[in-house]
Amino acid sequence: MGLTRRDFIKASAAAAAFAAVGVPVLRPEGVDAAEAGISWGKAPCRYCGVGCCVLVGVKGGKIVATKGDPAGPVNKGLNCIKGYFLSKALYGKDRLTKPLIRKGNRMVEASWDEALDLIATKYQQAIAAHGPDSVAMYGSGQWTVHEGYTASKLMKGGIGTNNLEPNARLCMASAVVAFMNTFGSDEPMGCYDDLDLGDTYILWGANMAEAHPVLFSRLIDNKLKHPKVRLIDVATRKTRTTKMADQYIAMRPHGDLAAINAMIHVILRDKLYDEAFIKQHVNFKRGKENAPYGLKDKEVFNETPADIKNLTFDEYKELMKQFTPQWGEKISGIPAAKIEELARIYGDKSRKVTSLWTMGVNQHSRGVWVNNLIYNLHLLTGKICKPGENPLSLTGQPSACGTAREVGTFAHRLPADMVVMNEAHRKKTAGIWGINPDKISSKVGLHTMEMFRAIDRNELKCIWIQCTNPFQSLPNVSRLRKAAEARKAFIVVSDIYPTKSTEVADVILPSASWVEKEGVFGNTERRTQHWFKMIEPPGQAREDSWQLIQFAKRMGLGHLFPYSEKGFHKEMWEEYRRFTIGAGKDLAPYEAYAKVRGLRWPVKPDGKETRWRYTDADDPYLKKGEGIKFYKAPGNRVNVWFRPYEPPAESPDREYPFWFCTGRLLEHWHTGTMTGRVPELRRAVSGATIEMHPEDAKRLGIRNRDPVRITSRRGSIVLPAEINGRSTPEKGSVFSTFFDETKLINELCIDAFDPLSKEPDFKKCAVKVRKA
Amino acid sequence: MRGKGEKGVNREQEITMATETTNAGMSRRQFLRGSAVAPLALMLAGSGVAAVYLRPAEAGGVTLRPPGAIAEKRFLAACVRCGKCAQACPYRSIKMAGGEAGVGIGTPVIVPREMPCYLCPDLPCITACPSGALDKSLQDPEKVRIGTAVIMDRESCLSIRGLRCEVCHRQCPLIDKAITIEPRHNPRTDEHTIMEPVVHSEKCVGCGICENSCVLPKPAIVVQKTVVIQRDSYEF
Repeated sequence: MGLTRRDFIKASAAAAAFAAVGVPVLRPEGVDAAEAGISWGKAPCRYCGVGCCVLVGVKGGKIVATKGDPAGPVNKGLNCIKGYFLSKALYGKDRLTKPLIRKGNRMVEASWDEALDLIATKYQQAIAAHGPDSVAMYGSGQWTVHEGYTASKLMKGGIGTNNLEPNARLCMASAVVAFMNTFGSDEPMGCYDDLDLGDTYILWGANMAEAHPVLFSRLIDNKLKHPKVRLIDVATRKTRTTKMADQYIAMRPHGDLAAINAMIHVILRDKLYDEAFIKQHVNFKRGKENAPYGLKDKEVFNETPADIKNLTFDEYKELMKQFTPQWGEKISGIPAAKIEELARIYGDKSRKVTSLWTMGVNQHSRGVWVNNLIYNLHLLTGKICKPGENPLSLTGQPSACGTAREVGTFAHRLPADMVVMNEAHRKKTAGIWGINPDKISSKVGLHTMEMFRAIDRNELKCIWIQCTNPFQSLPNVSRLRKAAEARKAFIVVSDIYPTKSTEVADVILPSASWVEKEGVFGNTERRTQHWFKMIEPPGQAREDSWQLIQFAKRMGLGHLFPYSEKGFHKEMWEEYRRFTIGAGKDLAPYEAYAKVRGLRWPVKPDGKETRWRYTDADDPYLKKGEGIKFYKAPGNRVNVWFRPYEPPAESPDREYPFWFCTGRLLEHWHTGTMTGRVPELRRAVSGATIEMHPEDAKRLGIRNRDPVRITSRRGSIVLPAEINGRSTPEKGSVFSTFFDETKLINELCIDAFDPLSKEPDFKKCAVKVRKA
Repeated sequence: MRGKGEKGVNREQEITMATETTNAGMSRRQFLRGSAVAPLALMLAGSGVAAVYLRPAEAGGVTLRPPGAIAEKRFLAACVRCGKCAQACPYRSIKMAGGEAGVGIGTPVIVPREMPCYLCPDLPCITACPSGALDKSLQDPEKVRIGTAVIMDRESCLSIRGLRCEVCHRQCPLIDKAITIEPRHNPRTDEHTIMEPVVHSEKCVGCGICENSCVLPKPAIVVQKTVVIQRDSYEF
C-alpha cells in the first residue's frame, strides 16, 4: 500500500517555508500615507465555498477598502472579481434599515418590538392550534455558525420541531448523505493541498473556473508547474473550465450514473483494484432501488437498515458485470473506449487521482448515488486519504460546511454528525443544551421542498426565512410564489435588501451583513474562519442571531440563550464546541481563531490543524502505524454501494425537445441580491442569457442576442440568446443562470429531487425553444 | 419622481422602485426602443459651435466609426451626415458627433464605454448607409474593423494582477479568438495562475464590448484605431 510519507513531508516543508518567510505585501510608496487612519481586520470572503481570506479596511465607521489577504493560505492575497468588490455589496442604496409589517398590500415601518411581538403571537397561535410542527424556519449556508446554532437550539431544543432547513439542501445535501452512508462522517478527508500535490484531476460536471475561481487558478498552477498533471473535464457543456482542461469528455445529462458504473465494471474486469485496501477497509452493500422522484407531495422514501443488503466482493463483481462500457456508451454518450480509458486512469498506480465535483453531481435526482459511485472509484483503487489522491466534494456556500452541515441545521440533523432519530444523540444534545431530552422531537422535520409545498397545502402556518431567497431559488417556484401571495402562511424574511422573497413577506426584518457582525464560517476543506465585527449595521439592522434570541424571549425560551451580551459569541462557541470534541470534528477554543487564517478540523490537542483525515500521517485520532483507519464508520469499514442506473425525472420528448440546465457564473452570486447592487458587476454582466449550441440555434433561425422563448411544462420565459459565448452546451441542451431577479428561470425547473438527499435537480428538465 | 425619505411614503413602493433601479441595466433594449435618434437636431445644434471649433487636423484622430467605415479621410468626404446608420442601430451604439469633432461634426461615432457595438449579424447600420461611407461589401461581422482593443493599463488590469476577473475575455463576442487567456505562474503567491487576457489584433473587430464591460473606473482595455502592422521580411 505504501503510504507516501515523503509526500506529507514535502507538503509540510513547503507550508512551513511559506509560513516562515511570509508573503511581503507589495505596495507602492505613498500608499501608506493614503491609508493613514485605516484600520485593517481579517475576514473570510462573503461569497462562495472556497473561503478566500480578505483584509477589510475601515475608516470612520465605513469600509473604505478590501483586499485579498496575503497571509490567507487559501488565496494568498488573491480574490475573484466578486471578492474584489466585496464591500460594495453592503452599500447598495436600498439596504433594509427598519422592520416592516404588511398592512394589506403595503409594507409599513414598525419598531423591532412591534415586529417581534407580532411574529411571536403568530407562532404561538399556530403552535397552540396546530402543534409545533406547524411552524418552520428556513436558513442558509451563508448563516454564520452562531446564527445556525441559535436557530437549531431555538427550533429543535425550544419550540420542539425539526422543521429547520438550510438552503444548503439545494446544494450540498446529496454530498452529505453519501459522506454519511459511506464514511459515517460528513465532509472530506482531503483538502485544497490535494490540488497542489496530485497529478490527475477528473472534474465531474463542475465548472470550477467560474464557480470556484481562485481555487481553479491554484489547480491550473499545479498543471503549469508539472507537465505530468492532467485535467479531464467530464461535462454536458463546454465551459471556461473545459478551455483549460487537457481533455473534454462530453456526456449526456444524467449520463454520469451510467458512465461511472461502466468504469467500475472495467476496474473490476481488468483487476485494476487494490485488493489489500478492499480487504482491510471496505464493505459492499446494495440499497433500495426503483426510487421515486419526489414529484408527488408527501412522497416517502427512506433507505432503512432493513432495505440494505450486504454483498460479498464476488457478489458485487457479479452484479457489476451487466454495466459494460458499451452499455455505458449507450446511456451516457461517452464512447466505450473513453470509459475504458477513464477507468484505467483511476486504476493506474502511477497516477495520483483527485475527483472534483459540485452541483452537477449534487443537484441530481440520483445525486447520492453518483456521489457513492465516485467514492467507489477511489475506494476500489485505494486512492484515498493520501496527499493529492482524494475525492474532494467542492461546496457552494461560504458556510454550507461550517454552519449547515457541522452545526446541523437540517431537518434530521443535530451538531457534529448526530441525528434527531437517534435517542443517544438527542440525549447528548439535550445534555449540552441543558434541556429535557424529550423536548427534542425524534420526528424528522419537513425537508426544504416539502416545507414550501406545505405552505401551499395550508399545513405550514408560519415560516421565518433568514439570509436566503427561496422565492427566487426554489424549483417550480411559481407554485410556491402563488401560495405565498395567497397569504397561505405567515412569512417572515430577514435580509439586507428587498428580494423576491421579501416581496411575499408579512414581516421584513433588516439584517446585519458580514463584518457588521462577528461570526465564523466553515469552508470546503473543513477550515473554520473567524472575524470580528468591524462596522455598525445601517439603521436598525441587527444580526440574525439577535433577532432569533429576541423572538425566543417572547416565546418564553430566553433561558436557552444564557450568554452575556459582551461574551455572546465566545460563550456560545464554547458550548457548541463541546459537541465536536472527541467526535472527530474537534474545534479549537474561540480565541485561537482570532489569531489565524482559519484552522482545519479536527484541531489537534496541540492546537494544530488536520489536513488529511483517517490517516496516521496526519489525523490525531489514529495511532502511528495504523495507516488508514475510517474510525467514524461502523467497524472502521466504509461502504462501496451498488447503485444501478435509473432514468431522470423528466427527459426531452417531441413536445419539449431540449434539456434545460441552470447554474452559476463568475460575476454574480446566487440570486444576485448582493452582486446585483455592485454597479461594476452589473456592468460586467447585466442579465441572464440562454446559452445554445450554434447548430441548434441555426436550425431554429436564432442568432446571437435574439430574444428566445423557453417553455417547460411549468413556465415560460424570454431570454437573449448567447451563442459561441463563454460556454456552449452540447447539442440538444440549453443553459441559463439564476442570478437575474427579473428572469425567474426557476419557474421552468422541475421540482424533482433525489429520494435520499431530497436535493432538487436544477440541472435537468425538458423545454422547448423558439425565437420570440 | 417619488419623494425620498418623506414621511408616510409607501415603503413598498420605495422598495420596488429601488429594485427597478438596480435592474435598469438589464432591460437596455426596452429603454432604447423608447427613444428616437435625432441627428438633424444634433447637426443644427452643433453647426454654430462647429464654426468656432473647426479643427481639420484633428478630425480623424481617435474617433471610432461604425462597422464598415472606409478610411477616415475618405469617410469624412463620403459621409453625408444623414444619421441613418444611427437610426438603424438597435442598441443606439452609434451616435452623431457634436462640435468637438471639428469637421467631423454630424458624423457617426461609437463610444464603447457608453455603448459598444454588439455586432448585429446583419449589420443594419451598413445596410442603411446611402453614401458608401460604410462599405456595403462588408457582410461578415467578424470582418468588421472598428478598431483594435489594447490593454492600455497593465498595472491596473485585475487579471494581470492575478485576480480572477477576465470579464473582457468572457464578454468578447469572439471569445478565444480575439481575446484569449494566456495562463502563467504567479510568482507572488507561488501557488496560483495569472490568467492574462491577450488581444489578437488580426481577429479583434474593435466592437468595444471589452472596454464597456471592464470593471475598473477607467477601463484597462480600450479600443484604439487599428494600427497598420508594419511588414518586413524578418521571419521567425
